[in-house]
Amino acid sequence: MKKTVAFLLAVLMLAACSFTSASAESDKYLGVMLSTNVMSLDTNLATDGESFEVIADCIDGLMQMDADGAAVPAIAESYDLSDDGTVYTFHLRDAKWENGADVTANDFEFAWKRIAKEAGEYAYLFDTSVGCIKNADAIIYEGADPDTLGVKALDAKTFEVTLEVPVSFFPSLMYFPTFYPINEEFYNSLEEGTYGTSPETFLSNGAFVLESYTPGTATLSVKKNESYWNADSVKLAGIKYQVVGSSDNALTAFRSNTLDVVSISGNQVAAAEKDAALASSLKVTGAGYMWYLTFSQTANNANGLLANKNLRLAITNAIDRDSLVENYVMDGSLATYTAVPPQFAASSTTGEDFSADQDRFLDYIGFDPDKAAAYFDAAKEELGQDEFTFTMIYGNNEGDEVAKVAQAIKEDLEDLLPGLTINLQPMTKAERLDKMQNDNYEVALTRWGPDYADPMTYLGMWITDNSNNYGFWSNAEYDQLIKDCTTGAYIHDYDARWAALLDAETIVMQEAVIAPLYTKANANLIAAGVQGIQFHPVALNRVYKAVVLE
Amino acid sequence: MAEKNMTVEAASGAYVPVEGDFELLHRQDLQVDKNFASQGYWKGVFIHFFRNKRAVAGLIIITVIVALAIFGPLMSRFGYKDIVQFRNEKNKRVVAKGISPRVPWIHELLTGEKYDDSFSEYTFLFGTDDLGRDLWTRTWYGARVSLIIAFVTIFIDMLIGMSYGLISGYFGGLADNVMQRFVEVANSVPRLVIVSVLAIFMPKGMGLVIVALLLTEWIGMSKISRAEMLKIKEQEYVLASRTLGAGHAHIIFRGILPNTIGPIITQVMFSIPTAIFTEAFLSFVGVGIVLPQCSVGTLIEDGFNNITTLPYQILPPIIVLALLMLGFNFIGDGLREALAPKLEDM
Amino acid sequence: MLKYILKRIGMAALTLLIIVFLLFWLVRVMPGNPFPSERMNAVQIANKRAELGLDKPILVQFYEYMSKLLQGDFGKGTSLYNGAPIKTVLSTCVYNSFRIGGIAILFGTAVGLLLGITAALNRGKFLDGFCTVFSIIGVCVPSYVFLIFLQYNFCFKIPFFPYFFDPDNFGFSCQLPAFSLSLFTISTISRFTRNEMVEVFDSDYVHLAESKGMYGRKLVLRHVLRNALIPIVTVVAPLIVDLLTGSLVVEKIYGINGIGKLMVDAIAGEGIDYNYVLALGILYSALYIGIMLVVDLLYGVLDPRIRVAAKGEER
Repeated sequence: MKKTVAFLLAVLMLAACSFTSASAESDKYLGVMLSTNVMSLDTNLATDGESFEVIADCIDGLMQMDADGAAVPAIAESYDLSDDGTVYTFHLRDAKWENGADVTANDFEFAWKRIAKEAGEYAYLFDTSVGCIKNADAIIYEGADPDTLGVKALDAKTFEVTLEVPVSFFPSLMYFPTFYPINEEFYNSLEEGTYGTSPETFLSNGAFVLESYTPGTATLSVKKNESYWNADSVKLAGIKYQVVGSSDNALTAFRSNTLDVVSISGNQVAAAEKDAALASSLKVTGAGYMWYLTFSQTANNANGLLANKNLRLAITNAIDRDSLVENYVMDGSLATYTAVPPQFAASSTTGEDFSADQDRFLDYIGFDPDKAAAYFDAAKEELGQDEFTFTMIYGNNEGDEVAKVAQAIKEDLEDLLPGLTINLQPMTKAERLDKMQNDNYEVALTRWGPDYADPMTYLGMWITDNSNNYGFWSNAEYDQLIKDCTTGAYIHDYDARWAALLDAETIVMQEAVIAPLYTKANANLIAAGVQGIQFHPVALNRVYKAVVLE
Repeated sequence: MAEKNMTVEAASGAYVPVEGDFELLHRQDLQVDKNFASQGYWKGVFIHFFRNKRAVAGLIIITVIVALAIFGPLMSRFGYKDIVQFRNEKNKRVVAKGISPRVPWIHELLTGEKYDDSFSEYTFLFGTDDLGRDLWTRTWYGARVSLIIAFVTIFIDMLIGMSYGLISGYFGGLADNVMQRFVEVANSVPRLVIVSVLAIFMPKGMGLVIVALLLTEWIGMSKISRAEMLKIKEQEYVLASRTLGAGHAHIIFRGILPNTIGPIITQVMFSIPTAIFTEAFLSFVGVGIVLPQCSVGTLIEDGFNNITTLPYQILPPIIVLALLMLGFNFIGDGLREALAPKLEDM
Repeated sequence: MLKYILKRIGMAALTLLIIVFLLFWLVRVMPGNPFPSERMNAVQIANKRAELGLDKPILVQFYEYMSKLLQGDFGKGTSLYNGAPIKTVLSTCVYNSFRIGGIAILFGTAVGLLLGITAALNRGKFLDGFCTVFSIIGVCVPSYVFLIFLQYNFCFKIPFFPYFFDPDNFGFSCQLPAFSLSLFTISTISRFTRNEMVEVFDSDYVHLAESKGMYGRKLVLRHVLRNALIPIVTVVAPLIVDLLTGSLVVEKIYGINGIGKLMVDAIAGEGIDYNYVLALGILYSALYIGIMLVVDLLYGVLDPRIRVAAKGEER
């Protein structure tokens, strides 16, 4: 028997030894953590930040983000804007696809028309609520001919985009992956449905080329693209991505030098802060998206009780947001008291952040037990009942802290508003969205990340009949304000539009349509010697073009 | 049968062999049969069980855990859902979260110092969790839930699984075929799918968990008892019993069942922790017990999130589970030896 | 015998059809959405549904699905890795999970048998007690907790093994997950082996064999173990299926692109991916049904008195 054990051990050891000789890399790759799998490398199908990050590593759009998040030229060397602000003419530089073909205006025209035709998740960036590209609405929602889209390759290096109305932030949309080019010839040479499913079926023109990838993989890598138009500025040999499932595991992976860039949350942040070596590697960056509570205001749910403004105000004033972020989220997230979260949309005239002033709505939102109780008493009187029971739904696959936050909110509300009972119901994010969209919920803990650097990415959600207006709240004055800002009166006057957006936000807060909670941050651990990763709260969370390893 | 033989011997008053009459050649540890006075079967089981030290130890462990599950939460100042917190002078909330196990007077005795945080006077035997709740209370509260799961599992195994397998194996042929195909279907639908569908019709909570266990938890047991049945039903005594005109039910449950009890008890022991973790998984995806309730399984999952940073969080539930299983195993072994009359321990 | 096997395969096909239909129907009843979207409006979603044929009656959908399936086409995901054909995604996952699970099963069975036999031979002594405690720990501590423990100690504290799974360095990086996964198997098998063998040791025919002067390895292997194998085979069979089809948390921790994670992602990830759930369900049931057939045949080999096959023919 002992012999057999010895034999088994020997086999194991042998197997171990024969595989240890991994080849030493001459140029070290940057080891980066992804929190979830890359879902798709097809710009039409990708919907998650991880996918966008990898796509952006490999493909350049017309514009790119600089270190501060401003749009600067990429494939477009320059652009002209017509006097009425509706025609953009982009002049393309000499850039090459990985296979040697030139990047032409036709690649953009093809890719954009494809987005409009397929009408996927992000096609809405073309429509009149955002990009206002000519005819986009008719193509996306009514199935019109994609060739009628207001984009045109004037020649190989000139790309013209016609808009319905001027869009002040249009150039900054250009760094979003939905607006990236695809080489038409290459795309058509592939078997249908296989684009972007392997390095062979994916074509880069960006700083990196895809080196290894299969759909669903836990690891993938990109390596430097030698034929990139700006190859000289790219110092990194490549990036090796690794999907890491838990914050605790990420911390150990970082400590073991397996990964150079990880993001951690909760107790792991607290542990890292206490550890001198780790504390110096800790860097908190804005993740952009805001968590908030939304209330169904229709009669379908909770007898329509939540349509009562005072009840919603009572709830929003009874939540201790500072305690939430400090005690339970713990990763540097910001307690938020505005419907548009801070730090992502700055005015282009004054440079001031739209939501820099978090105390602006202190009259309607804040942590004030007395005010909450007063609102609650008013609600009780108006509704003629003393006991309320609501079910709060939240996602169980949306991060470790969500369940903690939900329980802390329950504790706060039940403690400060006697007579109110909150039942918690975890479910998958998909089921939560399904319930919210079908108006089959009472209170939901949900989140929204900015798709573009303008307050409209949030404020556009609460107009009547918007699919993200989960409260089914409707206000004519608000609808008019938003309409004026997108296609109406204010489109030619930047500052007036900005002010109107503030007015709109005020209405949302006065009515407590939502209860903003906190703006998520990422607590990153970055290995010593890794310099120049650009973090952004909008669109592309991490950009590696300027990374230097010391 | 062995029992009957002995009874006959004892009753006839024949020479009673004593140790030392025989000497064994190669296996010195082989025990010689001892004789017992005639007694009823269940009385015998009872006596044998309580004569077995490990079985008694197992019984004590389980009793202590059950007692703690009932009274443990009462021994702490904090309820299972109470967040231990207060507001300081600056009206800032201070939460007793992530505190490792502490007993202030012992700490003072050993180090001569007090804890230097806001909760220096508080006793947390198992520490606190991420939200600032007392893990002692939560562990024992969770033990309640998991004990219920454990007993339900035993019930499901013994009642449904065992009968299903025995009947399927005994009748064989078409009956076996149909029953086994049904098992294949039942086992092949992912539990998460079926439970999510059930959750449309049922309130989420303990009831749903039990229904989920009822759906598939008996399958392993049915396979074991079927295998035992297939093995035993071809033995001569079954044939003899049948020839004597015994009914199917009699043969299955009186004739064969007692001889299959060994593997059946072993199987029960393995299905309990599986069921406890199944409950934790279902609770995590939102179709199990409702927050802020907890179970040993969910506590292990919670602790797992901090396993390297706050390792004390995962230890209490794992130790409680291990002790629970140790107790059940000892009792199971004791029962098996007491019930199966041919073992040496007689 | 051959006739019996063919008959069973025929029945397996029928069972599989029932399972597929059941799953096909259940995933559509489940709460959730095949392609959850926060940015598409009702028109776009209706178009997507039509594109996938989800607006047709369920029987028509089932017919279309089956006719594609019989050509070996599992279709494309609806929300998961939606660009890629399921076959591509599944093949890498199956490849990884089968290899790791296979090693875990082989290792677990071998060690489990050894431990069980040793414990049975040393009944009541220290080794027996050790075996009991070991098997209790093995079932109480989830495999992923073991894995974290091993990963923390042998990838970080003593950096010997790679921290994450690496398909290019399989032999080395599979060991920790395979070992952690095998612990439950070791516990189960050693416990069953020990208990069964103890019972067989006490049976009359072993006493007879002993009185004939037979002892040692020959007795253990030929008479005792063989008779103890029936329940062992019975418990190993579902474990094989479970281990081959992967474990969610182990795969997540060790960065393995495997079936367990894929299944949970398909059901409870971005949305309910109907096609992935079905493909994985078919894989799982086919494995389960196949292994159950092998088990039934093995019974007859292990104990010639058992004739599951022959009985089926007679009655």
